[in-house]
Amino acid sequence: MKRMLALALAMLLALGCCAAFAEAEPITLNVIIAQYGPNTENWFLGNGMDGTNFVAKFEEANPDIKLNLEVVSWNDLDTVVSTRISNNSAPDILNNDNFSEYVVDGLLLPVSDYCTDELFADFFPSFIEQSIMDDVCWAVPDLASARALYVNTDILAEVGIEVPTTWAELEDACQAIVDFYNGDVYPWGIDMTTDEGQAAFSYYVWNNDGGFLDADGNLVVNSDKNVEAIEYAIGLYNKGFTNPNPATQTRYDLQDMFGAGKLAMIIAPNQLPSYLKDKSYEVNFATAALPVNEGAAPGATGVMDRIMAFKNDAYPDQAARNEAIGKFLSFFYAPENYVGWVSMEGFLPAVNSSVAALVESDPSFQAWLDVLDSCKFYPTANPKWDVARQGVIEVEQQALTGGDVKALLDDLQAKIDG
Amino acid sequence: MNTIPIRHKWEPYVWLLPSILLMSIFVVFPIGIVFKLSMSEISKAGVVGAWNNFANFRAAFRDPAFGTVMQNTAVWVVSVVGLSTLLGFVTAMALNAEFRGRRVARSIVVFPWATSLVIQASVWNYIIKGEYGNLNNVLLNLGIIKSAVNWRATYQIEFAWECGVGIFVTIPFVAFTVLAGLQSIDNAYYEAATVDGAGFWRKLWNVTIPLVKPSLTVCTVLNIIYVFNSFPIIYTITKGAPANKTDTMVTLLYMRAFYDNQKGPATAMSVIGFAILCVCAGVYMMVTMRKEEQ
Amino acid sequence: MRLNTPEAVLRVNRRALIAALLAAALCLVAVSLPIWEFSVTVFARKSGNTFVGDEKYQAVKAEVEAEAARYSEETGAVTQLFENVTERTNSKGEKTSMVAFEVRQAMRRTGWDFVRSPLASGRILLALILCLLAAAVLLGAGMMGAMDTDWPELDLRKRGMRMGAAGLGLVALLLVPVFMMSCNLAFTRWIKLASDGMPRPGTEALLHTLDGFLYGGTAGDKVLELMGGVRHGPLWPLLATLPLLVGFGLCAVVCADGDPRHTLARALLIAFVVVLCVVILYPYYVMVITGFRSNAETTDMYFQHMFPTKWVWGNLKDIIDRGVLRYLLNSLLLSVGATAIALLCGIPAAYAMARMHFAGRKVFLGFVIMSQMFSPVVLLVGISRLMNTLHLNDSLLGLIFINAAFNQAFAIWLLRGTFVSISSEMEQAACIDGCSTVSAMLRVLLPIAAPGIVTTLIFVFINAWNEYTISTVLISTTSNKPITVGITQFSSFNMIEWQYLFAAALLATVPVVILFMCIEKHLAAGLTAGGVKG
Repeated sequence: MKRMLALALAMLLALGCCAAFAEAEPITLNVIIAQYGPNTENWFLGNGMDGTNFVAKFEEANPDIKLNLEVVSWNDLDTVVSTRISNNSAPDILNNDNFSEYVVDGLLLPVSDYCTDELFADFFPSFIEQSIMDDVCWAVPDLASARALYVNTDILAEVGIEVPTTWAELEDACQAIVDFYNGDVYPWGIDMTTDEGQAAFSYYVWNNDGGFLDADGNLVVNSDKNVEAIEYAIGLYNKGFTNPNPATQTRYDLQDMFGAGKLAMIIAPNQLPSYLKDKSYEVNFATAALPVNEGAAPGATGVMDRIMAFKNDAYPDQAARNEAIGKFLSFFYAPENYVGWVSMEGFLPAVNSSVAALVESDPSFQAWLDVLDSCKFYPTANPKWDVARQGVIEVEQQALTGGDVKALLDDLQAKIDG
Repeated sequence: MNTIPIRHKWEPYVWLLPSILLMSIFVVFPIGIVFKLSMSEISKAGVVGAWNNFANFRAAFRDPAFGTVMQNTAVWVVSVVGLSTLLGFVTAMALNAEFRGRRVARSIVVFPWATSLVIQASVWNYIIKGEYGNLNNVLLNLGIIKSAVNWRATYQIEFAWECGVGIFVTIPFVAFTVLAGLQSIDNAYYEAATVDGAGFWRKLWNVTIPLVKPSLTVCTVLNIIYVFNSFPIIYTITKGAPANKTDTMVTLLYMRAFYDNQKGPATAMSVIGFAILCVCAGVYMMVTMRKEEQ
Repeated sequence: MRLNTPEAVLRVNRRALIAALLAAALCLVAVSLPIWEFSVTVFARKSGNTFVGDEKYQAVKAEVEAEAARYSEETGAVTQLFENVTERTNSKGEKTSMVAFEVRQAMRRTGWDFVRSPLASGRILLALILCLLAAAVLLGAGMMGAMDTDWPELDLRKRGMRMGAAGLGLVALLLVPVFMMSCNLAFTRWIKLASDGMPRPGTEALLHTLDGFLYGGTAGDKVLELMGGVRHGPLWPLLATLPLLVGFGLCAVVCADGDPRHTLARALLIAFVVVLCVVILYPYYVMVITGFRSNAETTDMYFQHMFPTKWVWGNLKDIIDRGVLRYLLNSLLLSVGATAIALLCGIPAAYAMARMHFAGRKVFLGFVIMSQMFSPVVLLVGISRLMNTLHLNDSLLGLIFINAAFNQAFAIWLLRGTFVSISSEMEQAACIDGCSTVSAMLRVLLPIAAPGIVTTLIFVFINAWNEYTISTVLISTTSNKPITVGITQFSSFNMIEWQYLFAAALLATVPVVILFMCIEKHLAAGLTAGGVKG
């Protein structure tokens, strides 16, 4: 038994040594990429890039850099990253939606340290703005998506109603659909799940002249406009106009219902048509702007994710490391690679150089790019955005079970300020 | 007692050494780190800072969901452990009886154990989806119901489903432990009881239960710990929604740590959970073991 | 049990026989009653933006009335006209109104109508009636000439006949819900699918049959439209046959056995086991049928098919292309390694706990139990830091150690129980013969304890195989992922691919189930030891 133990210890030691020695060689970049869809992993690590994969191509082009690239599901992404950070083993490059908490802790490298000027100039300026905190740009957008209203034209025609443009019209339309189908068809889809409830919040407040920020750029979620907007949304649920379980029915559930003709109207990202096609739903639909409250300015919702680079002070040659990170970005955003990446899951691009090719392959892209211009984005650059984000989701879910919206939002505001 | 002579006083400890080493390194050390973290400031991103005078614990107790979640945790542990013990016991009694196909039945009962919790939870999540879930599909196509039913109409029902899945996956563990106990009971006891004119219930109460009790004790302690710490079922089916109303302690602290970026309070919660478990399992063991010794 | 006099036996038997025959007769009566009420919406018309009395209303109403009159004329049936007005005030303060008209016809059918029609439910009802009649005849035959024979002296043939009657009664009982399910399918489910535009094969024939059954063949092409509005009323008289049939069966059992308690207990046992097995197998059925569906069919909101219309075995190939075999191999390595280490450390510890007296035994036991009290989820940060320190991050080896450590409590508990239950005499003898304690354990104890060790091995193996949370955080290289982590790639930001998720889940389950089945015999034996002396 003792011998066994000694053997085990020896094994441990040997392994430790191996790992210690392995670190000195060519630059290895640890990259974490979020899993956007069924093809993400294949594109980076399998043979989804015309028979080869991104990592192989990159390493072939840059023999002095090794990529240790990992595709992590959105479900586990924050767990994985924060656990690594707690143990001082943050990745070199990370793909995520939030970045402000990393900036607050001083973990990120400014983009100017590694990104070439040429590439930096290529990003849409309105996108770059969203990643600036204290006048420094900390992350670059990797892709975006825009949300729009999709309506089932067959259902609307059968009931004899027009696409609603205001909240009042929306309620009328919902009532008409409920009356006509006797509850067999849900008029309106709401997703207030723990994963994406903040999107629902923005759909309503942004179309009621409300929002997450006040005029001075402070996070303020309990404005009267916001309260009115959320009360309206919850009212839709309480009147039986929506899918039955907004707190647990995810976007997939809603999209499937829409595809099957069980849901008449849904706010969904621009990838919805390709989703419906993949699942061979045959449904006639049209897109429209989100309905607004009477007199309010319309506000489209855009969502963007980012790529950022972490500091690693222990690394001996910082310049070489920065250069390697820059090479990774330049390679990733080169049109011959990036066009495939964005169109693979039907997202919208973040750089100018790929627009031409994308529009050429699919003319409907242009319309979405126009929508993108007018989109509002979450205030991700605010260091308290994460509190607001989870907070509004909780407010919505509390309100769904009967809570008072005003009081809940006031509490949340106190939490944000405190 | 069934012992063998020991040559040196230190000998038993050598035998224990590998196990102690393994657990100390891979379990106790991380536990220590968690204790230390629970008293340190942790940033949103996860950077660990200095000692912060139990601020994490205060924050954890002040958490608005704390009360609901403690209640849920109690319901979860008591219902899952209680009902799975009861049903597991009945199952074991049934599987101990003689009937054709008993071996097949035993193999089948083991199934839920052989499947990982994440998978079980995903399958059940799919089954009870109202819109396209399999339960509606089967019941409709067999003609048992006339139109699709929303199986998760309220969060209370969803939580009940979660408890149900918890019970479902725990039954095999209890059933096999009890079955083992049942098989080892000498038939002579039953024959004696029959001669005394005892009926089924008397035999159950006076012979069976006392004799399988020891095996149930440890099984129940481990069960309490496993169920208390169980995470995938609730996380997969509701993620605690709406607003932590279906969370238990472990899922709440996971949500707090990785969704709400309150990593310090989350660690404090885990230490609180540890303390609760220590007390519950400790009291349970003391009570049952003292009874046994008497 | 033995009844003393032939008179007493005769009395009991006579009573039971009369009760049974009465129950059977009442069942037949219930079936013959015209209890199946059908209310058919002959014609329905909804009209939006229509106010009572306005032009549109008049036009629609005239149309509906004409329809009703025409229908009555063609079929000679009495119809009723229903009118439902929904009035609302919309957001602009305008009044809106929707009018819905319905023409309904009510009809009743008896059980014999069902039997005469070629409906599947008719055949089931026929089978039910035949079963009941056969049971009554059998019971009578079993009684003939032996009314006063006490049960222990009853000859085997007579007893068999009486039991057979009870069995047939049970079959009839089970046919009642089957009949109702079949009615639901024919009158509601398949019609609904057809009117939603998704007819299944055989719907045409069914519609033709229903036309004959309900409308005497007059509905013709309109039958689908008519059937869309069929509701069938409450079936309480049919439900009344359930207790009658139970009573019949019980009487038959009494005649065959005197005391029905034994038979009942037996039936209850079998029923419990069957229900249990069905419930347990249900999720696996779901995995199988969903895992081999096409992507579109996994989220079919019309619930068209219980089984895939086409078994897409290609799903298996797809998931293998996406690396599932590699993940399975990793899981196998991980579980084998963890099991080996857990046993290597656990056996000596359990041995010491079982065989030696030493100070601190209770402390050690407490230590073992305490070590289980943190959920792995909670320890993520700690474990991850430890692995960094040991340079075991992202390696299977690290996972192996972690899993071994987290299974120590379980292993020690089971093994100690096994060892305690085995007498130490032989080891003592071996020790006196000059064997060392180690070789006494290896040569003498372990072979005897093999079943218990196998059990422990299985448990640890399964726990390691199923571990998820720690692997998620520790493993970053794709080629090192175990299967539980590997399958998360099938539920991504854009789509949950249920079919791949469940196909992979099946692949992950099958090896463990096979292992379990092979070892089931040892399992119980090992647990016996582990449990009792725990």
